[in-house]
Amino acid sequence: MHNTNFLLAQLDSYPLMSDKEFFVKRYKKLGWTYRQVKLKQAIRINTMNSNRDTVVKRLESLGIVLEKIPFLEDGYWISKSKFSVGATAEYLLGLYSIQEAAAQIPVTLFTELEDKMVLDACASPGGKTVQLANLMKNSGVIVALELKQRKMFALANQLERTRVKNTAVYNMDAREASKLNIEFDCVLLDVLCSGNYVTDKGWFSKRTIEDVHRNARRQRQILTEAAKVTEDGGEIVYATCSLEPEENEMNIDWAIGALNVKVEEIKCHGEKGLTDIFGKELDRSIEKCKRIWPDQTQGFFVCKLKKQADDNEGN
Amino acid sequence: MKEINDFVAQFNASIPFDESRIVRNRNRYYLLSKKLKQQVPKGFFYAGAYLGAVKGASFFPSFLLLSMIAESKANKLVIGKKTAWLFICGRDIFKQGILKGNNLKKGDYTLILNEHNECLGFGKIMHNLREEPDVNKVVVKNILDIGDFLRREKRQSRRQQRSRSLQGSDRKPHKSTHK
Repeated sequence: MHNTNFLLAQLDSYPLMSDKEFFVKRYKKLGWTYRQVKLKQAIRINTMNSNRDTVVKRLESLGIVLEKIPFLEDGYWISKSKFSVGATAEYLLGLYSIQEAAAQIPVTLFTELEDKMVLDACASPGGKTVQLANLMKNSGVIVALELKQRKMFALANQLERTRVKNTAVYNMDAREASKLNIEFDCVLLDVLCSGNYVTDKGWFSKRTIEDVHRNARRQRQILTEAAKVTEDGGEIVYATCSLEPEENEMNIDWAIGALNVKVEEIKCHGEKGLTDIFGKELDRSIEKCKRIWPDQTQGFFVCKLKKQADDNEGN
Repeated sequence: MKEINDFVAQFNASIPFDESRIVRNRNRYYLLSKKLKQQVPKGFFYAGAYLGAVKGASFFPSFLLLSMIAESKANKLVIGKKTAWLFICGRDIFKQGILKGNNLKKGDYTLILNEHNECLGFGKIMHNLREEPDVNKVVVKNILDIGDFLRREKRQSRRQQRSRSLQGSDRKPHKSTHK
């Protein structure tokens, strides 16, 4: 924890070094060589509304060429389509959602979702909320929080279109989730982050290391609140689409020390989490996290934390 | 609640709602599951199955409510593939596009289903279907179709662009648009 804070403080002293070269050098130091990646559009079948094979056949009959995403059960890449897959009757009927391949991973990591009490702490635009409802077969309860008022209607439209019936949406900051007085079995933290260059062409010209640090601090506040509202033994899935270790491994390293959580083993697409960040050693358990460098998908980071019972504190 | 029952009755249908689970939030109605009703606090923006909204004297149904009506005995018309696409684009329906329909008469309201029996929206009958209307005449006037989801997105996106240009900042935390 101390190492991480020291490193954050050190990095804070380089505010001007935040151009493309700066970030590309950082990635190199982390063991990855920067390259341009062309993102493939992906969809996820909402199996609560229709059978997977039926939807695939219907889309193929429209001339859409699909490619099964090997690491996802309900995910397909759009190899070829003469029109927008966001304007078919099947889309408008909620039979599938448009969701980037890596973004489909976090929700699949919960051990058990049916009939559970689930918090989606940063819900908009709602792709993962729908995916949660889908895996829960519309059972249990999802509490979805969104801070920005202007994003609420899009989220509500998404839920109506996909026929989600088990969700309550609140216009609320994830850092105030404990005000709801609910203990959750599962918490999804798809936190606001700095993003990555694959999904944002102007990323390098927009982002600075200061943005990264500011986001990392907010993410820690959200993690803290999530740990508060998760019941003992409950699961927290933390995800970002940022490549920056401050928002990923370093935040998890901090959480292990500051919150009553431990990192769980997950089986999904991606490489081991990094435990050596610019020469600083992090907790070895962070290897259980998954870091996805841009390639077939956008960049992503995901991990699963388990809330420990109070009597295990410090173990 | 009366608004919902009256709307459903327009299709010669009735849905046995558990009224204790229907919640009105401002002008919107929601049907909550038992668990939602018991476990989530008030003050939500959206919850459970959205049924529709009251605006003035009119009731605007949700597509969830239309699907629920479609599951019961109600006025329904099944239309062909091409007609279904045109209907979703906001167009009215001509006689030759109808594959299956009951004996609906002028002034009736009917649900519009595709070949897979999925509800695409609803409309109003403009000519008695039993008669042989002019092929160039509209027999069902489109009132609401699922293409409305796209139209809403466009309206919201325009509003957001206006609001962004007023704020003038682009350096905000990121949430992938591909989710």
